[in-house]
Amino acid sequence: MATEQVEAGAAGHGAEPRGKRSEDGQATYLIAVAEALWEEMERDERVFLLGEDIGVYGGAFKVTEGFIERFGAERVMDTPIAEETIVGMSVGAAMEGLRPVAEFQYADFMSSGFDEITTVLSRYHYRAGVPLPVVLRGPSGGGVRASSFHSINPEPWYAYAGGIKIMCPAFPSDAKGLLKSAVRDDNPSMFLEHKWIYRRIKEQVPTDPDFLVPIGSADVKREGADVSIVTYGAMVHKALEAADALAQRGVSAEVVDLRTVYPIDEETVLRSIEKTSRALVLYESYRFLGIGAEVAAVIAEKAFEHLDAPVIRLAPPNVPVPFSPPLEDAFLPQVADIEAAVDRLAGW
Amino acid sequence: MATKIEHDAAPSGEPLPDDRLREILYFLKLARYFDERMEALYRQGRLPGAIYSGRGQEGTHVGVTFALQPEDSLFPTHRDLTAQLAKGLDLRRVMAQFWGRIDGYLRGRDGNSHIGDWQGHRTYAVMSHLPIAYPVACGAALAYQRDGSRRVALAICGDGATSNGRWHEAINTSAVFRLPVVWVVNNNQFAYSTPNAKEFAVPTIAERAAAYGIPGVRVDGADVLEVYAAAHEAVERARDGGGPTLIESVSLRWRGHAGHDPAKYVPRELLEHYMLSKDPVKNFEEYLRAQGVVTDDDVAAIQARVEREFDEGYEYALASPFPEPGDVTKGWWVEDGYWTSEPGRAGGTEAG
Repeated sequence: MATEQVEAGAAGHGAEPRGKRSEDGQATYLIAVAEALWEEMERDERVFLLGEDIGVYGGAFKVTEGFIERFGAERVMDTPIAEETIVGMSVGAAMEGLRPVAEFQYADFMSSGFDEITTVLSRYHYRAGVPLPVVLRGPSGGGVRASSFHSINPEPWYAYAGGIKIMCPAFPSDAKGLLKSAVRDDNPSMFLEHKWIYRRIKEQVPTDPDFLVPIGSADVKREGADVSIVTYGAMVHKALEAADALAQRGVSAEVVDLRTVYPIDEETVLRSIEKTSRALVLYESYRFLGIGAEVAAVIAEKAFEHLDAPVIRLAPPNVPVPFSPPLEDAFLPQVADIEAAVDRLAGW
Repeated sequence: MATKIEHDAAPSGEPLPDDRLREILYFLKLARYFDERMEALYRQGRLPGAIYSGRGQEGTHVGVTFALQPEDSLFPTHRDLTAQLAKGLDLRRVMAQFWGRIDGYLRGRDGNSHIGDWQGHRTYAVMSHLPIAYPVACGAALAYQRDGSRRVALAICGDGATSNGRWHEAINTSAVFRLPVVWVVNNNQFAYSTPNAKEFAVPTIAERAAAYGIPGVRVDGADVLEVYAAAHEAVERARDGGGPTLIESVSLRWRGHAGHDPAKYVPRELLEHYMLSKDPVKNFEEYLRAQGVVTDDDVAAIQARVEREFDEGYEYALASPFPEPGDVTKGWWVEDGYWTSEPGRAGGTEAG
């Protein structure tokens, strides 16, 4: 095994993941993810990583670059291309007290482990009372011309299975704090990074090793008075851009970032609707039965008396993510689409 | 590593002492009696849900389980309830599960032989999508390899499940990492109605081990000691760091896939041959008599014990309350505490 030739711990205790912050201390989303994993592995030796090409190669997106030198091949475990087994093996290891974090090169390939995720991982605790502290993580989402098999937003498939907490953070700090919470949580979780955000968004990210963002908690990323845009993932950034443009026209949009899509923080969403009385639900999973369909249903059911307009959904059509740039741009909600939808709401 | 295919595996290690042999006979007879009585109750409409008979395969189930230590883990299928009983599950709580009661191992969240007791007896709660537990067994074995506890995981599936991709994935992965795991295929010759010839194109399942670079052995499931010997060798090899082994234990499924299935697709002559000459319970009883390990009185006492325990289990099951309906959503998340506290019990279900 090639990984055995790498001297474990060669980088020495206290080393850092190879992806570094900028000189002024800002971290990209990708580096924030790497820091979360690194810190949790330093903190708890039961935590280990497994996945395809994560060791010597450092992962398809280089999230785990430098890890094998610090933690060794056992804790940064390169596996055969066998997703059902990566998930199942994580379950078995968790049943015996380990805390596995499985990387998928793309979240698309989680479907190759679908049965072990939806039949075993999601249901075992309800049936048999055995905690399964397993994290499945990988890059999801479109907008990078990666086409049908490297762009999917799979969160509705797995949210429907239940029993797995699903996070889709939009900012580096949220990514770091949520992933650390996921690793420490005794329930299964799925951490869906967004590859469009990976290297685009930078910010000051906390360095406290116990910095955590609670799972199941939404966050208002921009205060507003006229319309609530409830969203998550890369669409948060589109929504913030649209809100800037709308503000110049005198429309005040509030942007609610779900951060966790299962379970949904209904309270924060409803509080925003009570304030603005208008809801745009914006999401990158498919319009039909996507995450936003549930959010819209919650708003309709629980905030009816506060609404001054019908809830509007803006999301991609239920077709595979297309490759050609004009097609993908038409597929994904764009800033102009968001502005138009908000205008429709504001017109009520 | 050379692949070894043996049709007459020689017993390895020390021969089993007489009290262990009598214990094997007890479990064989318990399994047979349980299977027959439960089928009768099912046909009388007195048992809700489904039954999956393991009749005719008791030699495989008891043989492989007797090779395990209590701290070793077992990953069975719905056909392998006998293996779980031999691992030590309480018959009363097993029967409470069949009747959907709160004292069943899974508190009514699942029924029949979709059972397990991980915390107590290290048996995995069975799932239907076979061989869904094979990858999970890899994970348990990975933990054993790392914690130095010298424990072993043993997983069972049927011949039908060997056609599924996970079977290949898990065995291949276990071989790559030399995991302490034993793969048992209970080849009862039919996957529901589909015979071996339509499931795979090699003569035996055991020889597929060569493709993974691990030992493969084929044993006669009618001979519990032959099964035990092969399993014992495989388990101890895994314990000593020698990696996984594939064991194919050949028997015949005497009954249908499930209680509703008359299994008319099984040729009459084949079934009669197995029932007359390859009955693992009868053969072992005769063997022990011939060896002077049991007398007629011993056998009668074992049979009386089995029947008494079944009756006690039945009474216990019917006296156990149903789960509290209001608890239906509890246990979804660890933090709701359902599985670490006493469960709610619905009233009004006392026996008699």
